[in-house]
Formats: sequence, structure tokens, C-alpha cells
Amino acid sequence: MFAAFLDGVQQSRILDYANGAPIVHATVAAVIRERRERRLHTWKHQVENRIYAPRRHVPPDVWARLAHLDPADSSLPDDDERLTTRHPLGALERAVDLAQRHREALEQRLAQDWCERESRPLLVDGGISGSERVARAPCAIGVVKSHRTLYAVDEQIEVVLRLARGERTSVFLIEPPRRTPVASWYLRLREPAGRDPMFALVRVEVARDPVQDIGARADEVSRWLLAETAPLALPDARWDRMVYGVRDSEEFLRAIT
Amino acid sequence: MSEMTSPLGRVVATERRPNTPHEFHFWTALDCPVGIGTIVRVEGTHPVEGKLPQVYGIVVEGFGYTDLQSPLHDVLGHDGSPESASLAPTERAEIRLYTAAVLRQIPEEPLQPVPIGRVFLATDDDVAVALRMDGYLKEGARTGIPIGIYRAGGTDAPIYLDADFLLGPEAAHLNITGVSGLATKTSAVEWLLQSIFTHFPERKGTIAAVCFNVKGPDLCFLDQPGELEASDRAIYEKLGVPAKPFDRVEYFAPYDSDGITIKTLRSHDALAHNVHPLTWGLREVLQYAEVLLNKDDVDAKADALIDFIRERVVDQDFTDPLLSRPHRVQSFADLEQWFRDVLRGVEAKNQESWRTHHVATIRKVRNRLSNISTRCAGLVTDDGAVSDLPFGTFEDRTVYVIDVAGSEEDAQDLIFARVVTKLRELLEKRQLGVDHVIVFVDELNKYAPNDGQDTYVRKMLLDISERGRYLGLVLFGAQQFRSQVHRRVVGNAGSALYGRMDGDELATPGYAVLSPATRTKLATLEKGQLMVRHPHFTQPVFVRFPRPAVMRGRDGAERFPQAQGVPFDQAILRSLRVLDPAITLQWVQDVAGIHEEHEVVRARNATIRARPGNVREFFRNALPKRAPSVAVPPRQPAPALRLTPFDDPYGDGQ
Repeated sequence: MFAAFLDGVQQSRILDYANGAPIVHATVAAVIRERRERRLHTWKHQVENRIYAPRRHVPPDVWARLAHLDPADSSLPDDDERLTTRHPLGALERAVDLAQRHREALEQRLAQDWCERESRPLLVDGGISGSERVARAPCAIGVVKSHRTLYAVDEQIEVVLRLARGERTSVFLIEPPRRTPVASWYLRLREPAGRDPMFALVRVEVARDPVQDIGARADEVSRWLLAETAPLALPDARWDRMVYGVRDSEEFLRAIT
Repeated sequence: MSEMTSPLGRVVATERRPNTPHEFHFWTALDCPVGIGTIVRVEGTHPVEGKLPQVYGIVVEGFGYTDLQSPLHDVLGHDGSPESASLAPTERAEIRLYTAAVLRQIPEEPLQPVPIGRVFLATDDDVAVALRMDGYLKEGARTGIPIGIYRAGGTDAPIYLDADFLLGPEAAHLNITGVSGLATKTSAVEWLLQSIFTHFPERKGTIAAVCFNVKGPDLCFLDQPGELEASDRAIYEKLGVPAKPFDRVEYFAPYDSDGITIKTLRSHDALAHNVHPLTWGLREVLQYAEVLLNKDDVDAKADALIDFIRERVVDQDFTDPLLSRPHRVQSFADLEQWFRDVLRGVEAKNQESWRTHHVATIRKVRNRLSNISTRCAGLVTDDGAVSDLPFGTFEDRTVYVIDVAGSEEDAQDLIFARVVTKLRELLEKRQLGVDHVIVFVDELNKYAPNDGQDTYVRKMLLDISERGRYLGLVLFGAQQFRSQVHRRVVGNAGSALYGRMDGDELATPGYAVLSPATRTKLATLEKGQLMVRHPHFTQPVFVRFPRPAVMRGRDGAERFPQAQGVPFDQAILRSLRVLDPAITLQWVQDVAGIHEEHEVVRARNATIRARPGNVREFFRNALPKRAPSVAVPPRQPAPALRLTPFDDPYGDGQ
């Protein structure tokens, strides 16, 4: 049974434009909500603010005025060494992308804190492979709700999409570039009849442990997740895939940011 | 201690539900000891004119909800099975949100909306400040009368009423409402009287209470100890009121219609020492004739004749050429003789009127007045004998109970009107014997209804309500339905107590000022709980009061059963024994045996009124004189005739 839930949020807004370049203020926050006697309490939370401005495109005096806010340069090349466009919308997208990375980093820090101090299971909203320490920790379980990438090909896709309530796929290994490999499987949380193929479909990530019987581990974690289908996370639009603990974490973060 | 000082909630305000200077909202933890009626303190965080604001409030409404948008979501989430809900690993986030009415803000100016801040459970001191009791609990100028205990979350704070606002002169009067049978009204008054007698400041003068017992044995055992539980004794101790019955109680009740036994449920021999008859004669009744004579009876002409009788006839030597003899009218019997003589004279001279009074009016007034002694038999005596309350010698901290429970309605009205009017007159002249009198009247909706024709009693109650406080005459009224009592009577009651209320009553407009939650609480109040309104309290407060330390009427009636079917001699003995316990039944029978019953009753009444040192002698002298019976000595037998000589020639030869 999960002992805690981790989730993060981000908000961004344009403060101003300098030479047509957007100066963006972003707030990121993350929380771990611990379950004690069936009620959720905050174990730890963090909120951070950051200013994003494309240094190459804003006048030097503007950058100088922002200096005391310790702004992040959103004009630096991305991971693929691509320079950001001068287009205001492109610059804005880059700033939002950086804020998202900031949020992920914050979530990872909290997850690491938990894994260092606790051995009880932590449900992380999203994947866990971004942090090696978390990805190798047996207590961290990532639950991915979006499926832009399906880790299946050909007839495997059909297997995934035809999963009935409470059924899971076999466990497979995910080895993303620049990330830590993790074991993963798909699980259907609710009856999908009459719904879209992704309804109540989640992908679970756990640490890859060569010694452990990964099938038994997958069964155990799947049972935990199925137990979390009540109470419903309504009115969230993703209620079919979202467990209540994650919704509660989001509500908490919404209240404090 | 740390628990006492840690906050239990936090003020919140939204655009849809903003805080105002008189109302605010706060949330608490789920296990917080807050409920409707709890008093809390808010600590502001931003100084106003250099002072951190402190706001005191009382919870008047509570809300609880979860993040659930529709109940259907919960049904779906648990597959329609309530049992499976308990299996869910997580409970939904839940809120306890309360609305509180502001009791007091410090500083009081500028009066601003309640600030966002931490909320604390009020301590004893906070309660005193919140209810402005600090103003009248100062050493040296203390006028607090304990009414009960405010209890919430470990706080046990005494609640005091201000004597100046309960008993005058600032405000006065108390009204008590509550359904019957839940020990609210009578118990509350008994407790409060004990509290007043203990705490009424001596510098404010002397005080007594006159209670009308209008039903059953309710007030018949005020001098007998009642059963108290440890929790009751704890409240008595905390509030500094001795847990004992009243020290001084005097009972008054009219006689039964036979004029022999006093009509009260307190008729047990063991309790007869402070039970006194209440009887009035013609003079007393004529003063209040209008109580018994309604408007249909008394028009201006009849009123003029009654005035004439009152002013010119009663207690005077009255002569008139029309009358056959001088009259001195002192009783209903005398009055009847006088009327007969007047009507005889008028008829003899074939006059239509006498001294401007038409003969029809004279007949009508005769009929109505003569009727009174029948309608109020037992209270009104034909012979003019008077046994009354000790007007002029009322004693401090004494309860005078007038038991009218067994009396006819007319007699009740007459007793009520005369006693209260007499109290008013004597208080005005400062001749009653005490400075303040509390008059307790139950069933106020009967005596001062808000509808129906105007009666003398209602007018008098209105008068007390509106002007009594200046005189020291205070009305403690009780009724089941406050909405049925005249608005000016309840409106003038400075303080009000509410016990458990009937739902229909709570739905009347008079309770619209209370929040729905407060009304719900009133409908479900436990025994011994009251809601209190008082001029110093800006909001009603809930308190607990102890059981009165006197014997409940029902218990008293069982323990001291009423004397049933007492023979005439026994009844006389009971009356006289109150004055002289050594009197025996044999003595009564010896002394009264040869007299008519009405003569014995008259002698008994005279003795009770006079309360002489030598009861036997007084009683014997009060009986009509009869020639003493003298034993006739046995007659001497006549001497036997001498026998005829044997040889007497005129004898019969034998």
C-alpha cells in the first residue's frame, strides 16, 4: 500500500516584453502527501519562483535590472544544442519548457528526500527515470498517465489497448537516453468498455532489480494501484487514470501557489 | 497548557463569503472541540492604530464538506456499495467551516471587518471579556449574578448576569421559554432565585420573591432538600451558591370551598408550620372588583354605584331615610342585607331610582357582587375575615409562595391582581419591608396573551413590565410559547432564558434573528441547558445550570402526600397546632363540640389571624358564648306515704 504521493505543478505568466522578447515569471511547486490513518498530510513541500528571459535578445540594461532576481537565460541552447528562435512565441515555449524542467527537478529532489529517509512506497506522479537515485530506489513507483509514446509495437499495441480492468501487460525494460533504465508495464485501472482505448490506462515504472522476481513485484504494485481507484479523483478530467492521492496533492499545491 | 494556547482554527474570507464587523468565518481541524455556541477569540496580525485587534465571537453556524462535486461521484466511486466506501485507502479531504457572530472587538473603534488571523478557544477570562462581564465583575462594584456555566472544549467559565440589568434599575425582568416537562422553566427560576439571594449585593438593598404556584405541586417544597448529583454540586461550588433549599419560605393558599382546609398540595402535617390561609373580605375585594367584573358587567352606571358603595357604605355607619335601619357593612353578608333594605325601600315607595342609581342598576350590581363570594369561595369570606400576605413586613431573602393551583380562574385573577397591585403600591411608598420583589408567574401566555380582550391582569402585567423596574418590582415570567405572550411584556424583559423549544414555536417570526443552527440546537437542548439573552451579551449564549437544590414537586407530592378527607375536628386541630403544637384532638372536640361548624371555623380563622400567645384561651373566647351546662343533681325520692292503719275505717280494708 502506498504510504505517500508525490506531485508537482508549474505556473507561468509573462511579466513584460523587452524588444519583443518575453520575460516570464514561473512558479514551480512539489509536495509529498503522506497517508496517516486514511487521511493525507503534508510530508514536505517546496515552492520556487524563477524569472526567464532570453539574454541574447533583451537589452543589456533590462538584463541588468533583472539581475537581482537571478534570472535564468532562456536563450541558451537546448539539449539538442539548438538555439532558441527570436520569435516571441518560440522564446515563450522555451521558457515554459525550462520551467517544466525546473518542476521535474524539484519533484526529483523531493522524491530523493523520501527515498533517503523512508522505505515505504511512494507513488510518484509521472516517470521516475529522470533521477538515478529515485529510479534505483525500491520505494519509488512512478505512474505515467499520458501515453504520447506507447512502449509497444505491432501486435503488442493491441495487447495494451485490449487490456481489461485489473489486467496488466508483462514487464518490459525502458532504457531512455540520458536516463536510468526502469522496469515498466501497462495496467488498466477501470473497465474500458465503451470508452476510448486509453481510458484508465496507466504505465507503471519501478526500479529494475535483477535479483527480485519482477513479475511478483508488478502484481503487488498493480494491486496497490487498483486499490487506489476509490475515491474517485473527480472532477479532474483525468480522473480515470489519476489516483485520489495525486489529486489531493494537486489541490494542495493549487492552494499554496 | 500548550493545548489551551495553540490555535484551533484560522479565519477565512472569500468574495462570496466575506467577513464583516459582525460576522466571520473560520476553519478548524476535524477533531476540534468547536460547536454551535462555542466562544472563540481571533488574534489579528496587523495592528490597527498601534493595537493588535482581538475579536471575540460565538459560533452560530457550521458547515462540513469534501472536495466531492456531486454525490453521484461518490456512488460511482464505490460501485454503489456503501460498504466498500470503508475499504477505500484514503478518506476525502474534508473541511469544518464555522460562522461566528461577533461578541466584541477590542479596540471597539474603528469598527472594522474581522481580520484574517488565528482562532483560539476562549478561556475563562476571554469569556468574561467577550460577554462584557468584566464591567460588572470588578471587585468593589460587583453586581454579577451567576446564571450557569459555559462549557466548551475544556473551558468551564461561569456566566453572570448583571443585577442592575436583571433586577433594575437599568433594565429588568426575565422571561423564560421552554417546552413543558423538561425541568426548564421552574427549575431555572428556582436555581436563579437561589443564586440571586446569594449574590445580590447587600448595598443594593433587600430582596424577596413572590411566586405564584399555578399548577400542581411545582413550587410546594422549596424548603425541602432535593437530590443533586456530583456534577450539580460542582456547578454550585464553582458559582459560589450553597447547594441547599431556601431558608425562608412562606406559603399562602385560599381555603377550600368548605372554608375548613387550605387548598394546597402542601397539606401534609409535617409541612404545615409555614402554610397560611389566604382569605379576603369585602373591603379587599371591592378594591379590585373590576378584575372579576368584565366590561359587559360593569358599565359607567354600575361603576358609579360600586364606587358609591366603596366610598360611602363600606366600613361606615350608613343611614338613609329609605332604609329601615342604620347599616355598617363589613362583609358580604352585611352588603347583602344592605342591598335588600335598599331595594325594599325603593319598592315600597315605588321609586325608579335611589340617589341617582336606577333600580335596575342596583339589582345588577347586587347580583354581580353577591356572586363573587360564591365564585371565589374559600378566598373571599362572607364574614369579612382577612388573612393576608405580610404586606409591610416582608423579609429579606424570603420566598412567598401563593398556591393558586387549585383555585378557580376568577379567584386566581383576583389573587394575582390584588397581590401585585399591593406590592406595587407598597414598593412605591417604600413600605413593603424589602426594596426589591421578584414576582414569578408561570403560564404567562394565559395571563398576558397577545390576543383576546384586554383584562385587568394583562394591563397590570404590562404596567409592571414597563414601569416596575423603577419601583423594584421585577417580573420573572415563564411560558411554553413566547410567541403567544403580549409583545410588550416579553419585549420589556431585559433578559431571556430559552430551554428546549418546540419546532413550531421556533418557526415563528420572533426567532428569525437566530441562525438555523442555533434554532436547531434550541430544539434539541438537553435538560439543564439554557440559551441566555442579556443586555450585555450581543449574542445569545448557551449555559448549563444545576438542578435546583430543592425537592421537585413530584417527589414532594410522593414523600409528603396530601391529607385526604380530613374530618372537621381534625382539620381544626391541624390549623391550631401550627400555633400551639400541644393542642390535642380531644381538647378541640371538648371545646368545639357544642358549636356549629361555621362558628368553629370563624373562631379558628380569628385565632390564625391574631396568632395569640395563648392559643387555647383565644380560640375558646372566639367561640360564641353558651350557657355552661350544669349537671342536675339526682332528685330526692318523695317520702313514702305512711301506711293506713289496719283498723282505718276509710281504708280499703286491705
